Amino acid sequence: MGLAALGAAVTRTRAAARALDWAIVAVLALLAVGMLLPFLWLFSMSFRPVSEAYRMPPSFLPDSLDLANYRAVLDSRVPFLRVYGNSLLIALVVTLGQLVTCTLAAYAFARLRFRGRDALFSAFLLGLMFPAQVTILPIYLGYARVGLLDRPMGLALMYLTSSFGIFLVRQFMLTQPRALEEAALMDGASHWTIFRRISLPQLRPALAALAIITFTQTWNYYFQARVLLGREESMTLPVAMDVMRGYLASGNLSLVMAAMAMSLLPVVLLFLVAQRFVIQGVAMSGIKS
Amino acid sequence: MRSDLQRAEAMAGWLFAAPAGLLYASFVLAPVLLTVVLSFAYYDPMMGSRWVGLENYERFLTDPRSLGILWNTLRFTLFAVTGNVLLGLLLALALNRAMPSWLLSLLRLSFFLPVIVAAAFASIVWSYFLADDLGVVNHYLRLAGLPGVRWLTDGQTAMASIVMVDVWKNVGFFVVVFLAALQGVPRALVEAAAMDATPAWRVFLRITLPHIAPVAVFCVVYASIGALQVYESIVILTGGGPGDATRSLSILMVEQGFGSFKIGYAASISVVMTVIILLITAAQQWVSRRWVRP
Repeated sequence: MGLAALGAAVTRTRAAARALDWAIVAVLALLAVGMLLPFLWLFSMSFRPVSEAYRMPPSFLPDSLDLANYRAVLDSRVPFLRVYGNSLLIALVVTLGQLVTCTLAAYAFARLRFRGRDALFSAFLLGLMFPAQVTILPIYLGYARVGLLDRPMGLALMYLTSSFGIFLVRQFMLTQPRALEEAALMDGASHWTIFRRISLPQLRPALAALAIITFTQTWNYYFQARVLLGREESMTLPVAMDVMRGYLASGNLSLVMAAMAMSLLPVVLLFLVAQRFVIQGVAMSGIKS
Repeated sequence: MRSDLQRAEAMAGWLFAAPAGLLYASFVLAPVLLTVVLSFAYYDPMMGSRWVGLENYERFLTDPRSLGILWNTLRFTLFAVTGNVLLGLLLALALNRAMPSWLLSLLRLSFFLPVIVAAAFASIVWSYFLADDLGVVNHYLRLAGLPGVRWLTDGQTAMASIVMVDVWKNVGFFVVVFLAALQGVPRALVEAAAMDATPAWRVFLRITLPHIAPVAVFCVVYASIGALQVYESIVILTGGGPGDATRSLSILMVEQGFGSFKIGYAASISVVMTVIILLITAAQQWVSRRWVRP
């Protein structure tokens, strides 16, 4: 084969490969739109007048931006704002709690040597395998005794620390250089000072990832919330949406969708703003284990 | 001097770990142990509790209804894990090619968006999509001249529908994890193989797959732990029905524990679930040591 012919063949295979690449990307784009359809539907249905909720064809782009359904949700007999407040309170308290407890514990496991450290860390890792189902009964019975049932704080209390959070922050800390910390130790700085002044500022990406993942996860809890927070005033959004769908099922689809759109807002916004950290956090949790 | 420093370090270690440790002991370790204890008891604070030995487990393992529900849960886990992990890997492979970075972020975002949404919210939307008469999907099926499908009310298809919703909801997580792993595969190795005109599938089997095997094993275990606990998507989509066709262990556990207050029996159900999870994790450790290069 002449050199020219070889060159032409290479160009041809390259062209074929590029065409295949574009075909695959086109299929991916179609699938991606398919993934988003339920969201588009939810969003446009939330603007449809209640009387037309079940009109076919369904819409995937809103015909109008009439906020009547949103107002109706706020005025309906479901204490929507109260429920929203419960969800916010629980998610914020849990996120803050985990940022503190997980970072402190991660420092102990990544930077300090003490007897029992590895056993303690293994005990924490065991927590990754215990489902909420195997802890909820005693917690329910205990809460019933001390009056924490139907209290949003009761749910928050369960999740003030997490094995996943400790693991995530520790893994990140292990990749950080420790020269500065060692120098400070030589200069007689206490571990508390080193943690606050040197380690903590380096942890920003890991803490951002942990905060977003924790907030989202807590916002989305259903099983625990349904068991512990059964009364309307103490409910969180996922359970309340289900209840709302239940007793507003016929005809008020538009209202449920307006309520859902408002419920999705914080996590979707948070994710869009800080996508990078979440993706990194998720990717890291996969690779490092 | 030196031992003083060491003692200070050990002290600091315990103090830093203390808040997490105390919370973890109170809200995870102690409750797990108490659940195990409860699973051997008939619990009734009014009339008096008593030990019943293995009675709760015996009941669970001999009752055809609970065994059917265990089987549902295992079946769901098998299908959901296979669907999520395989499709996640396929999509990640498809995404792992030269394309403008804005396009990659946009595609990745679309696949990941359902992951951050509550399973409850997702299931509510899908319950309207998959409804028999007024459902969105059936509307388009009929428009295309096809008969509507009883997605959620037919014992044969209900489980498949729930698995489908689960894959829609969760596949993005595995796409992101696999994509990160694929980007760690040494490019030089793959390109060299491509130069030699090695077929793409052999490059995948010989180079890519061994490289991402540890991540794949993690994905299978992570997906299984999640799937075994499946609760709200089934509660919302089918309520466990029709009949018991889609009822899962979590649903049975809540019904027994919080509906009929058979606390001991409910505890034994959650212990069974946890033992399955521990077995799967142990199997992972074993597989990783045997077959997967670290």
